[in-house]
Amino acid sequence: MYGNNQLKSLRTKIFTALVAFIFTPLATFADKEEETKAWNKDVPENKADLLAIQAKLQSVLEKAKTAVVAVQSGGGAGSGVVVSKDGYVLTAGHVSGRPGRTVTVVFPDGRKVEAVTMGGSEISDSGICKIKEEGEWPFSPMAEKGKSQVGDWCFALGHPGGFMEKRGIVTRIGRIINKRDATLRTDCRLLGGDSGGPLLNLEGEVIGIHSRIAMSDDANFHAPVESYLEHWDLFKEGKMISRRDLQKGGFLGVGTEETENGLKILQLVKGSSAAKSGIRKLDVITAIDGEPIDSREELSIVVGSKEPGDEVVVDLVRGEQELTISLELGERPE
Amino acid sequence: MPFSTHCLRHRPTTIYLLCFFLSFAPLPAIDRLPDEQHRNGKDTLEAFEESSKAGLGSTVRLVRNGRSLAMGTIVSKQGHVITKASVCIGAQEAILADGTKYKVRIRGRDKETDLALLKIKGAEDLTPISWADEENPAEGSWLVAADPTLKRLKVGVVGAKSRPIDRVGGVIGVILGRDGEELGGVMIERVMPRSAGAAAGLENGDVITTVDRQKVTSREKTIELVGANDPGEVVAIQVKRGEKTLSFRVTLGHRSVTFEQFDRNARMSGRVSKRKDNFPMIIQHDVSLPPTAMGGAVLNLNGKALGVNVARVDRVTTYALPAKYVREIFEKLRRPKPKSE
Repeated sequence: MYGNNQLKSLRTKIFTALVAFIFTPLATFADKEEETKAWNKDVPENKADLLAIQAKLQSVLEKAKTAVVAVQSGGGAGSGVVVSKDGYVLTAGHVSGRPGRTVTVVFPDGRKVEAVTMGGSEISDSGICKIKEEGEWPFSPMAEKGKSQVGDWCFALGHPGGFMEKRGIVTRIGRIINKRDATLRTDCRLLGGDSGGPLLNLEGEVIGIHSRIAMSDDANFHAPVESYLEHWDLFKEGKMISRRDLQKGGFLGVGTEETENGLKILQLVKGSSAAKSGIRKLDVITAIDGEPIDSREELSIVVGSKEPGDEVVVDLVRGEQELTISLELGERPE
Repeated sequence: MPFSTHCLRHRPTTIYLLCFFLSFAPLPAIDRLPDEQHRNGKDTLEAFEESSKAGLGSTVRLVRNGRSLAMGTIVSKQGHVITKASVCIGAQEAILADGTKYKVRIRGRDKETDLALLKIKGAEDLTPISWADEENPAEGSWLVAADPTLKRLKVGVVGAKSRPIDRVGGVIGVILGRDGEELGGVMIERVMPRSAGAAAGLENGDVITTVDRQKVTSREKTIELVGANDPGEVVAIQVKRGEKTLSFRVTLGHRSVTFEQFDRNARMSGRVSKRKDNFPMIIQHDVSLPPTAMGGAVLNLNGKALGVNVARVDRVTTYALPAKYVREIFEKLRRPKPKSE
């Protein structure tokens, strides 16, 4: 899912080649590609490309800023972004915290309104709130699932160091460095106070929410917007996905790595339901109970939200073979 | 079941999956952007060639005993260089991007903007920076500045509203305790670790008797006298320690650096400029530069300088003084001072 453009075109070519090979007599294909936009190139090649990226960013920047808020509660402060006209706000899980709390949401012009915190996930560090007051709020739309890709140009907005009206919202530019394990990594530099603020693509759509940083310049981590889309109804109901609850749920017994095709099994827990069912190392999990699984977060949530003893159907790929295995989930060992 | 995961999901259709089944070898999993393609990656920087030439050609490294103190911006053919005053104290040499070394002498400094004017000796035909006409670059505009090696650039964008930055006075970095006439001054309750006071040798329990030779017996007066100075400036402090009277020269620290050194944001920001407040106007940007890159020019995509970097504030913020102010200070400092008789 997360190939960069080079890979995409490589894949398209391989696919085309394979199709061509299989259907050789029928194959007629024209290699007519549209002129690549500056921001879709591997790297901008010249000043014109840079100006195109700049113009694209500036064409969405002012509007995007109107939807960015500071989220204040007690002593702490973070950022957030309104994503719907009726006032749903995405923020980081560690900013919204427990559901049902009242927090203050501050718009760029200093206007303050109350919001109530709703659900979230400890695993991806996602959380949402809803502005209490009725109104038509400025918002930035969420990008659809799978839209953001490694290599995409993006920009971070937020209130690093806290809300400062004279300074306003701070813009940083960068690219997606990788996208896996319910985390987007970029070189848009973040700082405390940015938590919960939006990462946007050059179309002004929210693709992630700022979560955490490490020391190096390119170690800035965001919860991908997919983490919100996946659990939107659940979050709206005020449910929290917590590690502790999930650990009490069903247990499969696999250690996995995210790949383009699904979750590749790197470890099998001895005596676990997975091991007993005949699942092997290097099998790739593609779905559970018919639900496609493409992140480790989803796997832990789907499995952990079932009970030990529940039966699940696991779709796997082994080499070139597709397999479906039914098994009974076990309990997490002490 | 407490959780459902079906909402708003789309089944991934796709070519990749098909590809997998059709091909006999799995595709390489490229899931990390190569370093060269990062914002500051080698390949990305090639597109900035025009500003790169201008930036590297009219910026110098300012060095004392082989150590880089700051960068400087060449503002005249004859070798006038503008830099950040508080970090270039004692600069002996200016080194060009091509490695040529020149001796430099300081010609003057401007306290308000923390700029200094240096003069390169023996150079006649340097390439001065070319200033941009625009005063207020739009947010999101690309910017470029040389990093302290003078071998490469760092890039970023204008990141916030241009604005003046209020003054915050310098601090010794002590928490003041009891005071009064009977005590003969103001007791230092605690010297903050790694503060200016600690570096100078002040100790808990010292009683401050004078600040810059003025007697002090109250906390307020002490704070007022110290705070009248900017971070980086030197204040003479006299204290009583037991029977002894000791004198210290304290190079003041910045309030935020001193008192927030254990704060997470400060830790994650690495080294920052000591003076990062009290500017008549700044352009804020996200070009990642260490404090030793201050004094260098920040340029637009056309290779024109928008200003001179004056403070690394934190992990996400650098301030540049706009060209208009830099040019005014240059004109002011290059004129020889009228002799007062």
